[in-house]
Amino acid sequence: MADKRESVRIKDGQQMRVLDEAARRRRQRKALEALEQDNFSEDPHADLKMSKKAPKFEEVMDASSSLAGLKKKRKSKGDFKLRYRKTFAALLEEVHMQNKDGPSYITACAPPSQLPERHFCSVCGFPSNYTCVVCGSRYCCVKCLGTHQDTRCLKWTA
Amino acid sequence: MATLILDNGAGTAKIGFSTDSEPKIIPNCITKAKNVRTRIFVGDQIDECKDLSSLYYLLPFQKGFIVNWEIEKQVWDHVFSKDVCQVDFNETTVMITEPFFNFPSVGEAINEVIFEEYQFQALHRTQAPTLTCYKHQTDKETSGSLFGTLVVDSGYSFSHIVPFYKNKPVKEAIIRINVGGKVLTNHLKEVISYRQLMVMDETYVINQMKEDVCYVSTQFNKDMSIARCKGPENSISQDYILPDYTHIKRGYVRSRSEAGKLKGDEQMIRMTNERFAIPELLFHPNDVGIQEMGISESIMHSLSLVEKELVPHLLNNIVLTGGNALLPGFQSRVFMDVRSMANDDMDVGVSTPKNPVTYAWHAGCDFSLDPTFPSLCVSRHEYEEYGHSVCTTKFNVS
Repeated sequence: MADKRESVRIKDGQQMRVLDEAARRRRQRKALEALEQDNFSEDPHADLKMSKKAPKFEEVMDASSSLAGLKKKRKSKGDFKLRYRKTFAALLEEVHMQNKDGPSYITACAPPSQLPERHFCSVCGFPSNYTCVVCGSRYCCVKCLGTHQDTRCLKWTA
Repeated sequence: MATLILDNGAGTAKIGFSTDSEPKIIPNCITKAKNVRTRIFVGDQIDECKDLSSLYYLLPFQKGFIVNWEIEKQVWDHVFSKDVCQVDFNETTVMITEPFFNFPSVGEAINEVIFEEYQFQALHRTQAPTLTCYKHQTDKETSGSLFGTLVVDSGYSFSHIVPFYKNKPVKEAIIRINVGGKVLTNHLKEVISYRQLMVMDETYVINQMKEDVCYVSTQFNKDMSIARCKGPENSISQDYILPDYTHIKRGYVRSRSEAGKLKGDEQMIRMTNERFAIPELLFHPNDVGIQEMGISESIMHSLSLVEKELVPHLLNNIVLTGGNALLPGFQSRVFMDVRSMANDDMDVGVSTPKNPVTYAWHAGCDFSLDPTFPSLCVSRHEYEEYGHSVCTTKFNVS
């Protein structure tokens, strides 16, 4: 009889996974990366060949009249693409490599704020006093905690 | 010989000849519309698109620097063509802006593209805040020459705090905050998508909504408590009707008297604390976990890095430019914050030009008439003779 009785809290507690510091930081970093994104979805026309292969009437006319000229143009465009292909990371790496003294892109970045951190409810956006014990997000009231647990808490961990 | 001014921002390029009265503001990107499968829209061609929902953006810039030249070339091809500016390359000097601490290889790429791809006659590269400072000096000439000007340029990718001694930027004290209009729009999209309606794909619509309803609060905590109220006491809450691009061509704020039921299948977003909590990121990037100082704090930090004698001059001549300066309350907030942090024996003066977006472009027009301007240009002949080195010495970049 006695072994059937058990505390719900203890049972839940065992199932509940608490995110460690590293996972929380990873989440935070992902959220910040999302703020830099150009688009949320993939290119809707990725499957379409945008006027590249599909011949247009003008293009055909051009080609027949001056095939050589067109070829030359194509080639210079190809070069163009290759010559300037540098990602942001590569550019930053270059600056690091140069390692020159004095002000640079890296030194110009604003330092961390001296002001105390402010906390806002991750659900409603109003000032919050509480922290979700599982994932570290902020919430302001029981109602928002409920919403948070039903929607975001631990859902986006990977 | 004509001079073309190109204030090449990551969000919009401001372009026009020095003789034009106003520049053309061109989105610096290529757009694809979900419902238009036959074509792409380069720059301002997007104005021809009727349905602006779910646009897909191809941007030449990343974090404020040109990385995708393929896209930038197409946009420039368009703006130099007869559709926008009709440039006669052989007869034209071009002035182009770039960010502070532009990467050397990006700068070299600009030189190459301008001289080799387009064959411009001459080139001058500078930064938008440098031009702003120049114009601010001349505009204020009546009150005597200025020793110091502090330009706050808050644009699409980031915000810069740039102190100037006379017309020279004090490089050691330039501060960059990695928060700009793009981060604000993306954050607003994220917040709305979680709290109300999935709008993650509606960058264009939400950006427009941001421009329509967001403002910078000068009494943050008080506004928070007002935004909490229910009913008519909540003077901050606004209902924004989203466009559907069939009947409603553009989103708008529904007047308070019409509150209640939605007509037909209108979609609405209720903006309360989002109206001021979003732009607040410019002043407290920490609110979303970006470990950087906000604009006001950065101004004070920048002032701590310049010569002590220059500080009162800078404090009295703060100029706000860039798209975010259009946010209502931006100027009063900067003034309020700086006033409260600065020594009280110094005067604080903050001003915003009439059009903070095109001010640098207008400044470029003025600067192109300056007697020293020709000597700061590199001609194609010089470039062909000496290459990038002559550009590095002549342009005041990095």
